[in-house]
Amino acid sequence: MIRLVTLEDYDPKDLDRLCRALYAAFGVGCEHSGKVKWPEDVGDPVDARKFLERVDSVRAYSDDKLLYVISKKLKDRELPPGTVPTQGWAKYGEDRAVITTYPVKNLEEGIKRVARGALHQLGHLWDLHHCLDPRCSMYPPWTPSFPNGDAIFCTFCRDKSEQKLRLAKS
Amino acid sequence: MSQPAPQLSLAVGDRVVYPNQGVCRVFGVEAKEVAGQTLTFVSMRREEDGAVVMVPTTKIQSIGLRKVASSEEVARVFAFLKSESDKADLDWKQRARTNLDRMSQGGIHGLAEVVKGLQVLSELRPLPAKERELYDNARHLLVSEISASLSVPPCDAEDAIDVVLFPPGRERPKRTAEEFKQVAADDEGLDLGEDLLSLGSDLDLPSDEEAASGEEAAQADAEEGDEQAPARAGARGKRAHGDGKAAEERSHKAKRGGSAKPKPAKEASSSKSEAKKRGRPTKGKAVSEAAPARHARPSPSRAKTSGARKKK
Repeated sequence: MIRLVTLEDYDPKDLDRLCRALYAAFGVGCEHSGKVKWPEDVGDPVDARKFLERVDSVRAYSDDKLLYVISKKLKDRELPPGTVPTQGWAKYGEDRAVITTYPVKNLEEGIKRVARGALHQLGHLWDLHHCLDPRCSMYPPWTPSFPNGDAIFCTFCRDKSEQKLRLAKS
Repeated sequence: MSQPAPQLSLAVGDRVVYPNQGVCRVFGVEAKEVAGQTLTFVSMRREEDGAVVMVPTTKIQSIGLRKVASSEEVARVFAFLKSESDKADLDWKQRARTNLDRMSQGGIHGLAEVVKGLQVLSELRPLPAKERELYDNARHLLVSEISASLSVPPCDAEDAIDVVLFPPGRERPKRTAEEFKQVAADDEGLDLGEDLLSLGSDLDLPSDEEAASGEEAAQADAEEGDEQAPARAGARGKRAHGDGKAAEERSHKAKRGGSAKPKPAKEASSSKSEAKKRGRPTKGKAVSEAAPARHARPSPSRAKTSGARKKK
């Protein structure tokens, strides 16, 4: 089950639309599991790694995946080859990820972009790597074409995620 | 890649990379008796899923077990990924062989070469399913090794690779088959000296066409698509229009061992007639062979029987 967790107030209709997009992509139930309070000392812009370590959990089952939706900006990461623009972050193969709606002012209009980012981070939770297909949601999110795409997976990524889901269920 | 690796001494707690499996942690070195022999095994646990692997110390080198890459090696990998390399082999068979070697024996640089090569190729056309899988495996192994080496989470390791391969604010270029052919031609010119080229006719090598079975050829056609077809046709045409004698010699040498020896003319003709006899005769021939028997003189026994019938 995918659980959306918010830290601010969002329009329930927008969250419902996001849940539907995630359900369509993964074929797994998705629901808004409430609101939690902001963790302390995560900085502003928010350090995604610290945020996920310190934020409260709402997990009910061991195979639940938590997606935190925040409106604050995430801090770009400094890695050895350079700075990585950060719209979201996930603990690869684990249970929690975070996305930001920061660049989107009107969520109703920008839901497609947010859903694509959500799919990307949830894909990492199911062991998906970045993809070569620009139409796929697993394409690197800092590329210029990423925000314009649909919230879908390519055939390879869809098959792989389905396989992981089957393994998780069994 | 072909240099012999120094003997690896492993202790409990070491992190090693098992080729094609990923990063493992050694948790024991113990002697065990197997089939009357006492062998020393290194036991390790794969970090990804906890699978246990036991390797005899004598096999460590041949398997290609190695320690996790150092940060200097990782820096070199990033430099390689950053370089404007357009190398991509359009020959699928050669590419598959090279990539498998790189995956099993190439170390972290080999993994980076597979990822980079297939990524460059994907700029020409979408990768076939098997190569897409290979790309994903190579990427997974590379990410886990960089993550272990730099002590960063796997997501950061992957982003570090991709920020180099897909620089922010820039779309991937579209490539054409011509670019790759140009690069391949340049490489051939650099690698094969005249000495080697002159040796070509003396070497008794099977031609690619012969080596490839029907299935392989079909797969090749399916995978290569239309891109290589003109190139191949051109190459064949060149061969055909080139020096005829040399081509004949080459083809004769290439066929050596593959086909049966030519039989003498007599034997060949006799074998042909035997083959005809063995087969079921056609209707027309059967009639023509049977027809003269009616007009032929009856055999004595037949005559007797016919006479006997008359008497009756």
